[in-house]
Amino acid sequence: MNCIQKVWLVILLSIGIGGGAFAQQADSISIQVAAVLSPPNDTARSQALRYLAAQKDPATFPLLAAINDKKLYMLDGKPVTTGEAENSGGKEVFTVFYLYPQNKEAADKLPADRLQKVEISRSERLILNVVLPYLNLTSHDPQKRIMAYGQLVSAQDTGKIAILAKALRQEADAGALTAGKEVLFQLKLDEAFSEPEAKAYIDSLDQNWGENVGLILKKYAEEGNVVSARAYAAEKVKSLESLQGRIEKAQNLFSGISLGSILILIALGLAIVYGLAGIINMAHGEFLMIGAYTTYCMQSLVIDTLGVNSDLYFWVSIPASFIVAGAFGLVLERLVIRHLYARPLESLLATWGVSLIMVQAARSIFGDLTAVKAPAFLAGGWQLMPHLVLPYNRLFIIGLTAVVVSLTYLMLYRSRLGIRIRAVTQNRTMSACLGVETRRVDAITFFLGSGLAGLAGCAMTLIGNVVPDMGQTYIVDSFLVVVTGGVGKIAGAIVSGLGIGFLTKVLESFYEAVYGKVLILALIVVFLQFKPRGLFPDKGRIAED
Amino acid sequence: MGNKKDFGLYACGIALFLIILPLGNVLGFVSGNTISLWGRYFCFAIVALGVDLIWGYTGILSMCQAFFFCLGGYSIAMHIVLKGATASGANGIPMPDFMAWNQVETLPFFWVPFQSFGLSLALGLLIPAAFALVFGYFIFRSRIRGVYMAIITQALALAMWLIFLRNETMLGGTNGLTDFKTLLGLSLSTPGVKLGLYVVSLLTLGIAFWFSRKLVDSKFGKVLQAIRDSESRTSYTAYRVMHYKLAIFIVAALLAAVAGMLYVPQTGIITPGRMDVRASVEMVMWVAIGGRGKLKGAILGSLIVNFLYSICTSLFPDSWLFILGFLFVTTVLYFDKGLLGMLETVVAKLGSKRKPSPQPAGHEVMQS
Repeated sequence: MNCIQKVWLVILLSIGIGGGAFAQQADSISIQVAAVLSPPNDTARSQALRYLAAQKDPATFPLLAAINDKKLYMLDGKPVTTGEAENSGGKEVFTVFYLYPQNKEAADKLPADRLQKVEISRSERLILNVVLPYLNLTSHDPQKRIMAYGQLVSAQDTGKIAILAKALRQEADAGALTAGKEVLFQLKLDEAFSEPEAKAYIDSLDQNWGENVGLILKKYAEEGNVVSARAYAAEKVKSLESLQGRIEKAQNLFSGISLGSILILIALGLAIVYGLAGIINMAHGEFLMIGAYTTYCMQSLVIDTLGVNSDLYFWVSIPASFIVAGAFGLVLERLVIRHLYARPLESLLATWGVSLIMVQAARSIFGDLTAVKAPAFLAGGWQLMPHLVLPYNRLFIIGLTAVVVSLTYLMLYRSRLGIRIRAVTQNRTMSACLGVETRRVDAITFFLGSGLAGLAGCAMTLIGNVVPDMGQTYIVDSFLVVVTGGVGKIAGAIVSGLGIGFLTKVLESFYEAVYGKVLILALIVVFLQFKPRGLFPDKGRIAED
Repeated sequence: MGNKKDFGLYACGIALFLIILPLGNVLGFVSGNTISLWGRYFCFAIVALGVDLIWGYTGILSMCQAFFFCLGGYSIAMHIVLKGATASGANGIPMPDFMAWNQVETLPFFWVPFQSFGLSLALGLLIPAAFALVFGYFIFRSRIRGVYMAIITQALALAMWLIFLRNETMLGGTNGLTDFKTLLGLSLSTPGVKLGLYVVSLLTLGIAFWFSRKLVDSKFGKVLQAIRDSESRTSYTAYRVMHYKLAIFIVAALLAAVAGMLYVPQTGIITPGRMDVRASVEMVMWVAIGGRGKLKGAILGSLIVNFLYSICTSLFPDSWLFILGFLFVTTVLYFDKGLLGMLETVVAKLGSKRKPSPQPAGHEVMQS
């Protein structure tokens, strides 16, 4: 053994000893945990708890939290706690979490009789008071962890920063991590006494961009420890606020587009029907209501009656709402509308009466307010950047509208039925002379138009409640869309639907919603001064009355 | 339609409403409620006359008459509320209670003129007229007509309804204006004042009817009907169609405003609910049900529908909308000329059975 080898040996040994020291500490914690779970004598448990409380090791927090909640059990010699109870096959089973040495969920749900309760006395639990603020740091629920992080801000404990840092190392949830980091940086910022240090933490806070960063920095700008860094904080607040303002505008634009797509869905059917048959259908909004109630019925049918607890109901209700609303449309066409072709004013009044009847019928059947559960796959949103989330349900509505509009376009301009519809729209008598069954075309068109409104109703359940008069809130808007777009023009309906939806939301973000609406009306009246026949007027001879 | 029969009808109406009902009230076997109720129906009949003038005779479907009705109603309500105001503003002018509750310091400037009765009356007529003038000018100028007109006026009604619903417009928001005490020093709750308002409403209705009759029989009225039957031909014969339309739009608005002014003291409350889109459409429906293009039809329709409404809502509250909707549909589908037209057809048929006449009555051709 030569000299160099000796040196190596010394180094290796010292590392071994150093590692041993760590291992020793962990070991002593495990020993104490074991003592808590099965104490050799009466005082051993209190001693062990006292030791664990003093150590404040995040690894032991789940265990201590379980003790504090009186929910500590043993399962095959390992400490566990229980989560939500659930009913499975007539038996109550619990989600089980292992507590130590690792904090994780067990694979199986177990009935209560498999678990052995560990009784811990009140005096022993009181020992844990010193660690109470930390116990939820390792909770299974991200919301509880976020709250626990927040509580640390006001906790009176010098060691809290170290504990928080340790706990954050194990944080997996992105939202909770941001909230935790915010607290960490805030605490460190409060302790910082040199300008560069303070600025560094201000930067970190800014980059972390948590929920309360504006408040924290604003407060620091007024009464921060490092006076020279106050201005820096104020500057950051200003840039943050302007950024948030821009994000809010982006959100508004986005909801404007989704409102516009609903308007398009409604107005599309209106525009086609009016263009074809000269019918102003005031009951068109009620087909939206029918579509929404169809979705509601499908939900009850699939989930409550058939017991299929999945998003299946929503997929079923998309075609169902189209067909049911369309079928109602057919009935209405047969009973009322058929007698009113090319008499728009009379049709307006008669269908208004129909709409009264339908709303009242819906109210007597379903009551005043029902809601459709949002399907699980549309929960949440697409995070474009921090704090700018595009909700999936609105994205879905936009997507649905795009698909439906394309299909309608194809139907109108690339199919035989479409040719017939356009022919009857242009000249009813001539089409009839050439062998087009105009009555049938009318019926089919009415079916399609009502079905489109039904689809819109199905989509509406994603963003609002289902109420009997939900159609009436949209009907005037959608008629404005038709008027602005030019009667019977699919392109006009799309452009003006998007435009009006968009403008409404934009104006709403500047003014109150109501004044936004008044402004829209004023804009439309002014617009009609220049284009009295809408965006896309007919040209040539068919333009004549 | 002989003048003799008409005279009999008028005599019956006058006897019933101007003599029997008030007399009954004074003698105590007609309740004050009934009197107020009919007083209100007469106000609706005045609006209906306006609707008939603009829709039945000119062919313009205006769906914002309830808005003009409420403009008149609100102006008189503001006056009454100011007279009964107890809270005092910062500058010593009395202020309505609801403003004090909303932490308003001083009376808003547009409330100030309504302290005087004369100004309130004038403004209650001027504001709707000015509104109709400006709005109508822009609409008729761009040749918006038919369905477009209906939709735009409907949107106007909707927008105004939303504005009146707001609290910051200082018009009482959703609750509207209520708690009326006195008008011109007379307590509104006494039976005498109620009867007086009833008589005034009836007389106003009579005057409005006479005025409308003169109007439609005049050359002006003939031009209106020409516009209804063919707007382009009328304009080719060098009539300024727009001026005629604008004038009749203003007249209809004024009639509605007058009705609103008479209506409010009798009801004791005015809320934005009176001016929503449905209210306007219902006004049009009174005329349609009674028989449009006939002034008597408008009055008949508004009286019957409102009478039905009072009965139905007390007997079967939930089914009123069903009944109304059904009335709408059947009237439009089967009784194009309304009740009056139907009556005339029936009478003509009976008459022709008794002694066949070469030209049956009810021959008027109605087109829209």
